[in-house]
Amino acid sequence: MNETLTILLESAVIGALIGFGAGAGVARMFHAPKAQGMGAFRTLGELNACENDPIAHFSFGFGFFFNAWASTVGAGALSGDVDHRIVPHWAASIAMFKNRNLAETLHNPRRMALTGAAVGIVLISLLNTTAASIPHSLQSVASQVLGPASDWLLNPVMPIIFWMAAVDAGRRTGGWGTVLGGIAHIVMGNAVPGIVLGIVVGKGIDDMGWNRITKSLTAAVVALFVASSFLRGVDMDLLEQMKIGVPGWLHQLHESTGTAGQ
Amino acid sequence: MTTTDIGVNDDTGQGADGRRPRPWEGGFWLSEWAFPLLVASLASGIFAGTHLYYTYQTGVFNEVAVVALLKAGMENGSYGAAAAFGAGFLFARIIEAPMVGILDIGGSLQTGVGIGIPAMLLAAGVTAPLEHFWLALPTGAVIGLAIGWLVLVIRRATLNSPDAGSTFGADVMMGAGNSAGRYLGPLVILAAATASVPVGLGSTLGAILFYWWKKPLTGGAILGAMAAGLFFPIAK
Repeated sequence: MNETLTILLESAVIGALIGFGAGAGVARMFHAPKAQGMGAFRTLGELNACENDPIAHFSFGFGFFFNAWASTVGAGALSGDVDHRIVPHWAASIAMFKNRNLAETLHNPRRMALTGAAVGIVLISLLNTTAASIPHSLQSVASQVLGPASDWLLNPVMPIIFWMAAVDAGRRTGGWGTVLGGIAHIVMGNAVPGIVLGIVVGKGIDDMGWNRITKSLTAAVVALFVASSFLRGVDMDLLEQMKIGVPGWLHQLHESTGTAGQ
Repeated sequence: MTTTDIGVNDDTGQGADGRRPRPWEGGFWLSEWAFPLLVASLASGIFAGTHLYYTYQTGVFNEVAVVALLKAGMENGSYGAAAAFGAGFLFARIIEAPMVGILDIGGSLQTGVGIGIPAMLLAAGVTAPLEHFWLALPTGAVIGLAIGWLVLVIRRATLNSPDAGSTFGADVMMGAGNSAGRYLGPLVILAAATASVPVGLGSTLGAILFYWWKKPLTGGAILGAMAAGLFFPIAK
């Protein structure tokens, strides 16, 4: 079979699957914590920032569409924005075009899943087959304007917002959030996951005290930080930057597991 | 910010018993067991996207920087970095998801299932699920089902367990997540103004027009920047 046709058909199937899952997951986010949602905090915030306006939803997705197009031309990578931003916003825009009732559109998993699947089929097929035909001037605006703006949102704006929320939520939550946030930025390169886990642990202890659930939760969080600092080679960086030699066995352990840092 | 704050009513109107049930109430779409199926759908698509990249060099669902880790493995055979990076994210997100009520699809599925697990398979010499489309779909679906099931199990043991008297600060995080998006419009204008003078002016003009029309200024800032960039391309 012709290669372009194969890519087109496979892209349509993939697009339907990711649009269906992402659409329903995003709608379920608005019912969290009662229902388990799927998406991201920034997706939730950005959907709210468009304030229930189909044109705003469309143009927000449109900007990232050019970004994804440019990234597909350059590296064959659709960019993480496809699931996080383009599909949810375009599905929301289409769903709201005639009906502004949020309960029946953006907050309705069925409507969002079906609209999302349709958006996904068109979007993924288009990105994978036509990436080379994008106008160059739009490509550079997308990558030089939206790129930095979303990088700044991810770091440092979002960490600061979450940090302030943690600090305002009480002394224990603020303390856990600060410690885990700082360590997370060292270990994972972004403080948000650490602050979120800090809020989880701090609020859990506030509400329930030290019981079986909060103890195992804290143990899991500690294990997570230890494991990811080893996997990313942060332990070796620490020793090197404190001017302490890295012991040979540790270096060999990292070499043999392929975790010597990037 | 809730939906009533922005002047939108979440009520669906009148029905026989005072109000008509919402389309999903009591049904499949918001039920607990729908979640693993939805994760399976998304994970299956993302894993198949990685298959498309492995065979045709296009279609993986991730940022260029992360894909570069997988690409390095495909070229020189050392998948350690990609596997460790993806697995770390997947692990973190599975622990976090039941607590906060949201499974982060960027970390868990795009990076974990799309990069980490393929890297582990390739490092172990298993190439079949990445070479054949019809094998990639069920592989991704099974992985997704497992992730969704695991999230529900942790959720039952913590949030929904009978002796749990806490939502683990989900309200705090929802508040922060909701307010984060408000910063995007100003950030777009700042980035546009840094990129070039015409693009900055276009972005500012678009934002103020949208603000006057009582529309979110983020959309105006993006459209204004792109319109200006079409006529005055940014010099490299």
